[in-house]
Amino acid sequence: MDASQVAQVTEMMYALRNPAGVPTYPIIFIGLGVLTFALHILFVQLMLGTSAITLFGAFSQNFYWRRLGAAMLEIAKVSVSVAIVIGVAPLLFVQVVYDPHWYTSNVLSAQWVIGFIVILILAYWAMYFYYFQNSKNADKTVQPKSRWSMILSLILMLTVGFIMHSLTSAILHPELWKEWYMQNGVLDYSGSKLHAYNIWRFAFFISLAIPVTGGMLVTYRRFKSVREDADHDYLNWAADLGKKWIKVGSVISAILYVAWMMTLPETAGDFATSFWGIAGGIAVIFYALWAMIRLRGEARFCSYMALPMALVVGLVVAISREMLRYGILNDFFHYDFMDYKVVMDWYSTGLFFLTFAIVGGVVLSYFLTVAWKTGQTVGVYTPSATVDRLGTIAIWIVAIWMVQFFVVGFYIWAQ
Amino acid sequence: MDLISLYPTWYEPTVGSGWVVALIATFHVLASHTSVGAALLFAYLSHKAYREDREDLLDFVKKYGLFLLVFTYVAGSITGPGIWYSTTVASPNGIGALIHSFVWKWATEWVFFVIEVVGVYMIVYLVGRVDKKTHMKISVIFGLASLATMVIIVGILSFMMLPGKEQWFTEGGYLNGFYGTNTFIQLGMRVAFMFTMTAVVGGIVVAGIKDPAFKKEMARKLGWLGIISTLIGAAMFQWYLTSVPDQALLVMENRLPDYFIPSIVAVLAGTLAYFIITMLQPKTLVTGFAGFMSVTILVAGLWPEETARESMRKPWVAGQYVYSNQVIGRDVPGMSIKSQLPTIEKVGILKAHPFTPAELKEVNDQNMIQAGEFIAMVYCSNCHSPSKTGIRPLYRYFPDGITQERMEKYVKGVLTTGNIAYMPKMPMLDSEVKALSAYLVMNKEGGQDAVVAAIKQEVENRNRALAEKQAADKVAALTLPQEVK
Repeated sequence: MDASQVAQVTEMMYALRNPAGVPTYPIIFIGLGVLTFALHILFVQLMLGTSAITLFGAFSQNFYWRRLGAAMLEIAKVSVSVAIVIGVAPLLFVQVVYDPHWYTSNVLSAQWVIGFIVILILAYWAMYFYYFQNSKNADKTVQPKSRWSMILSLILMLTVGFIMHSLTSAILHPELWKEWYMQNGVLDYSGSKLHAYNIWRFAFFISLAIPVTGGMLVTYRRFKSVREDADHDYLNWAADLGKKWIKVGSVISAILYVAWMMTLPETAGDFATSFWGIAGGIAVIFYALWAMIRLRGEARFCSYMALPMALVVGLVVAISREMLRYGILNDFFHYDFMDYKVVMDWYSTGLFFLTFAIVGGVVLSYFLTVAWKTGQTVGVYTPSATVDRLGTIAIWIVAIWMVQFFVVGFYIWAQ
Repeated sequence: MDLISLYPTWYEPTVGSGWVVALIATFHVLASHTSVGAALLFAYLSHKAYREDREDLLDFVKKYGLFLLVFTYVAGSITGPGIWYSTTVASPNGIGALIHSFVWKWATEWVFFVIEVVGVYMIVYLVGRVDKKTHMKISVIFGLASLATMVIIVGILSFMMLPGKEQWFTEGGYLNGFYGTNTFIQLGMRVAFMFTMTAVVGGIVVAGIKDPAFKKEMARKLGWLGIISTLIGAAMFQWYLTSVPDQALLVMENRLPDYFIPSIVAVLAGTLAYFIITMLQPKTLVTGFAGFMSVTILVAGLWPEETARESMRKPWVAGQYVYSNQVIGRDVPGMSIKSQLPTIEKVGILKAHPFTPAELKEVNDQNMIQAGEFIAMVYCSNCHSPSKTGIRPLYRYFPDGITQERMEKYVKGVLTTGNIAYMPKMPMLDSEVKALSAYLVMNKEGGQDAVVAAIKQEVENRNRALAEKQAADKVAALTLPQEVK
């Protein structure tokens, strides 16, 4: 591309920006987008990995595998929900600062965007169908029914993953948007095509499901081992499997990462050999090394660190991914999200961070404490006085939030 | 810079992109309103179960919660962002206007959304696993968090109709945009109808209760909840109509389908009758009947209500400054937003649109129909389908045998001037008027097939002309050295 062609693309991207501007500094949206993407993709990978174990267990004759498959189905169900709910955040933030790119890529593949919604619902329902077909049977070692629905669910989940991958990839090719819109002289208003993909990049993010789920298995053993009715042979088997998955999976992911870096578009310049280009791959390998050193033997503390460490690895990868986007759009196409018009709104900015930290922090602390303790208790769990008080505080905090909503609202209304 | 913030157009020929958005939104409203109402109902029932030490109430919460988890939380949590997706592809500047003004409000809702999703799993799976007091506390937090998601989104929905306060246009500010008369009345109306939906959908679970006494108790509870909320909701709807702009009432009177009012009245009467019957005779409450009522409310109640709310905003799609065809049609000094109409008046829509192909920037005989189609897609297709089906098809608006000259007069005299109250002003150069008119005449007379054939011919002609020019250039290049010699 010559300079004038690049200039035209730059002008187009800036023209597409929303004239309303953004209500705080753009870097904050990028930061939150990276953080929440790392969380989202962690649960996507957990969902894929635990679904795969459920399927393998369903077809295996080994009783341990069947038990593990049934147990991981519970994690898969919750992981889909959490992946969806957390995925809302990066979806929100990307369209704040990269709206020209996200909206264009979506409109040009509109049918797939709508299809995403339908396919994801079907995928989730297929998983629940499998669950309801087998949940009433207390014996988790018998061959499960309706295995086809779990296969269907996993295939559909991978399909929606690919759609999202393609939409994200299209963002990186503003030079091709007009070509995609008009092909052979005829405008394509149908949005029926997925225009961009990098199979290595997609495979890399999917493959991370292996080490992440390995981390889940190690955590599962540690969490269940304190129960009075724990089957230690089975749990140790699951943890050993998890350690293997971390090691082998990290190597596979690292190879795919290198393949991705080797197939970056020319517009990425020398990103593959830059600090962040290398850091993403190193982080993945680091996870295997960490597991080899810190998860040896019982690893009572570090077993609980397996998933947080996976999140840290995911965070480094998410930063690399964001730096790649910035590198292409800013360095090559001169579109800098940092110069988005800021129409500062302190109230809504402050309200979000306070809600996030105080309401989210206290309520989720209470919820997760109760869930955690219940999972480790045989029979009915009755919280300690401290946990019970935390619940009362959580109620008050949410109630106060509601009161401030109406007090501020009526004040503004009355003015 | 004469480019404005217009994206490519997505054209869905069968039902139209607007209906795709409406379908997803309606489904989401049923799922989300039922969920929020049920969350508050759970808080009440869980509290009662704790006070009176009753297992049956918690069992009901578990069953209803599991039902909701599968049918409304799964579908609701996906169709929620699904509305973003569908509006992104159907109306990118409409959703963009909301996102850029209310990103933090949505982010705040997201915090409650996370609490809600974690909460629903706990409500369902911890019945019998934690003591009743703890379950009650979780239920209360869950109910409040669910309500928080509702109160937040209503402010954004209200902004779609009009900013909370008129000062928003001159002073800007999130608070001025969010809070207003319409916000609070709409909130009251939605809260009322959400309890109606909770009561109706809850009937599916009550139908499965085996114990006649308990079934009667729950049928009565849901019946009273449904009757009171339906009556309040109906009254709030009348009040709501006083809070919308006059323009919206005009659209409502003139543009809404004839079945709208009878449909709403019938569904309200039917809902009340349903609750009275099931309260008096709980044994009539069977799964099929309750399921049928849920679908009836969705089809006959929510669908007209949600589509009416969409239609009443015309010609705007967001904040009374973004037209339904994505053009910004009004200055908003408070947000430093400039109307894009002067730019279009100056250079024309084809040069102002960033995605106009180079071949169509200037209208000529070799691109007349294709340029006309491009303009129709940009200006018209959001509200009028160029196909025979879909939303308000274009061809229906013109008489048979309409001539190019008459069409040009209509386009120039009515559309470019914005003389129809509920349609945007659509500036065009004379050449663009000619192209759009040629397209509209062809669309009317020959339909989409004729348009496709004409465009194919135009493309072939352009390609042939280009090839001839390239060949001529080649010949010139070959002959030049001889001449030099």
